[in-house]
Amino acid sequence: MKLFHESEGITRRQFFKGAGMLTVAAVISGVFAKFGFDVFAASDDYITQRVAGLYTLDESMAIRKSHENPEIIQIYKDFLSPGKVECVSPKAHHLLHTKYGKDIPGFIAELKNPHHVPEVESAANEETSTEEPAA
Amino acid sequence: MSNENGKVLKHGTQTRTMHWIHLLAFIILGLTGVGFYWDIGGIASIFGGEANASLVHRWTGVVFVVGPLLYTLLNFDRFSRFMDTISHFSKDDFAWLKVMGGYLPFIKADDVPPQDKYNAGQKILGWLIIIGCLLIILTGFPMWLWRHSVPAVFLSFCYDVHFWTAMVLILLVAGHFFLAAIHPKSRVEFSSMMLDGYIDAEITAHHNAKWFAELKESS
Amino acid sequence: MSTVLSEGVIHVSNDCKACDHCTFICPTGAISGELGQKHHISPKKCINCGQCLINCPFNAIHDLSRIEELKKALADPQKFVVVQEAPAVRVALGEEFGQAAGTNVKNKMYASLRKLGFDKVYDTEFTADLTIMEEGTELIHRVYGALGVPGFEEVGPLPQFTSCCPAWIKYAEDNYPLVLPHISSAKSPQQMWGAVAKTYLAEKLNVDPANMFSVSVMPCTAKKYECERPEFISSGYQDVDLVITTRELAQMIKDAGIDFMALPDEEADRFVGLSTGAATIFGATGGVMEAALRTAYEILSGESLGKVEFDAVRGLDPVREATVEVPVKALGTSLPVSVCIVTGTKHVASVIEDVLAGRSKYHFIEVMNCPGGCINGGGQPIRRDTY
Repeated sequence: MKLFHESEGITRRQFFKGAGMLTVAAVISGVFAKFGFDVFAASDDYITQRVAGLYTLDESMAIRKSHENPEIIQIYKDFLSPGKVECVSPKAHHLLHTKYGKDIPGFIAELKNPHHVPEVESAANEETSTEEPAA
Repeated sequence: MSNENGKVLKHGTQTRTMHWIHLLAFIILGLTGVGFYWDIGGIASIFGGEANASLVHRWTGVVFVVGPLLYTLLNFDRFSRFMDTISHFSKDDFAWLKVMGGYLPFIKADDVPPQDKYNAGQKILGWLIIIGCLLIILTGFPMWLWRHSVPAVFLSFCYDVHFWTAMVLILLVAGHFFLAAIHPKSRVEFSSMMLDGYIDAEITAHHNAKWFAELKESS
Repeated sequence: MSTVLSEGVIHVSNDCKACDHCTFICPTGAISGELGQKHHISPKKCINCGQCLINCPFNAIHDLSRIEELKKALADPQKFVVVQEAPAVRVALGEEFGQAAGTNVKNKMYASLRKLGFDKVYDTEFTADLTIMEEGTELIHRVYGALGVPGFEEVGPLPQFTSCCPAWIKYAEDNYPLVLPHISSAKSPQQMWGAVAKTYLAEKLNVDPANMFSVSVMPCTAKKYECERPEFISSGYQDVDLVITTRELAQMIKDAGIDFMALPDEEADRFVGLSTGAATIFGATGGVMEAALRTAYEILSGESLGKVEFDAVRGLDPVREATVEVPVKALGTSLPVSVCIVTGTKHVASVIEDVLAGRSKYHFIEVMNCPGGCINGGGQPIRRDTY
């Protein structure tokens, strides 16, 4: 029985087609990677833009320092520390400060028992830490 | 019908091995992949649960990449001849496409134009599979290796491309299987790829007249 | 109410494609699941920051929404609904209406809130300023304490950490209880505003605080958790009743059929609505630090700052440090104030370890959970930019 086989070896044209296909595959991979890197580079742009938006808004504000806010001065004078601007006044401490972690249950009990508040607040020290302050 | 005697070696041992490896990998990948996409718990449990099915999918993916890559590098001449054949579309190929090789029942084709080693349909299939595999492989890398570092939008893009390419490939391969193993006109080709690599010269002379002419000339 | 506290704000839906992208986004390792396995968030470890939510490729992660409850409150004539909006909302809300990122839509935002039926529209920036006053004073006290100034023996230790970010607070509580005394006792601006609204504002407007419904529009999902924490009742009521995100506000505006960009420019209402530039930059990483420095410098030195910008604390690097020479009039010397800014909770562990080991040279450390600050919070419009 006669057996037919393909002849071995390749022509110049065939070589270029084979090598060309590999090149095309490499190029497609490159394009895909380029696309990936572009997306990667662009993916955080909005963060920069939003931050820039806030700084631009800051520059356009008439008042740019917290302690110069007239309503802040008013709330201290009218309410938090009547007659003056005193931060961490007893009332400010009661309304504007909190506790964390294991101190919370006691803190809630304290808040729910209002007549104790002034005494506790004047003794004001919620930081019961024994740690040395790091200088 | 020509009356040629003898046998033609259509696909060499390495080609057939590569085809088998790719075929088995493709089935496992397709099965697990479809299971992930439609969340079919049964498929995942065949492979030992979601996480294991994913591991199977990924490592089979490695086989799916390394198989043809090794084949191409070890058989650069065969690969080159293959690329040459499928990238060459002659008048006969277009004529073949016009009648769809006579495979469709509603297109009457008495005489199908002579074809190369691969007919025009197979050439197109070859291209689609090469491009499809390339896309699937490329998108698979970020999904596995760089899933933590690539942006969300790129990852979802990869998932979409991976899935839709896989769907197209599954349909193409289903058609390929139908023609190569079931269709009475062409299932004679089955043994040339899946078994010993040989096919009757008579069939080749009929289906791949141009290629057979070359073979005759050279032997 | 307590479901938020026990089950968390952030949940993975069944749409999860198990891509495993989020496990690396998560700063606390709260998300479990291998690649291929549907993921799950442990509410115990989760700090509700929502970074996984805005970074989910399949939008499969959701935050608990109480928007229906808000709509009911707005429709209820008995309820006096007041609203505050965080600084970061105003530069991102416009993105939902076709504006570029960073476009300031503050004044249209006020107008849209009035259109939605809020009785009074205020601004969280007011209490951001209040935070600076309280937290800055606390810092000065701590510095005096560390320097041995008489009368400040009982203050907390240095360095002082900021307390504005509820995700960071929960992270510290969960993982580093020893660092808690270092955290400023000042509430976050949102909670300060809630406490002030139901006391000071109710008094000024002559409204019964029991009928007051305090809403907050935040760029943040952790704020939804924060407002439900049981200790925030210093006004005698729950200080902040409900939090919606920037996304939810945009959705409400769209649902109401309001043409946002065609709205007139309006201003916030008085008493607790006036803000400063210092409060505006709270939304960016380093902003709290810069605002605190502006005020602390002027108060300590008694001099006026020529240039209010502290460029050294700006930027987007996850950990930044700077030293600012501050003349202290009361002590007659100049004090180099060493500050550190951390953005991204992933990067905070080493800073905390240094503090706990006594190696830290800083006086004041700002920690914001989200990379870039609140402007990139878990409640902000989701961006999928490719170019």
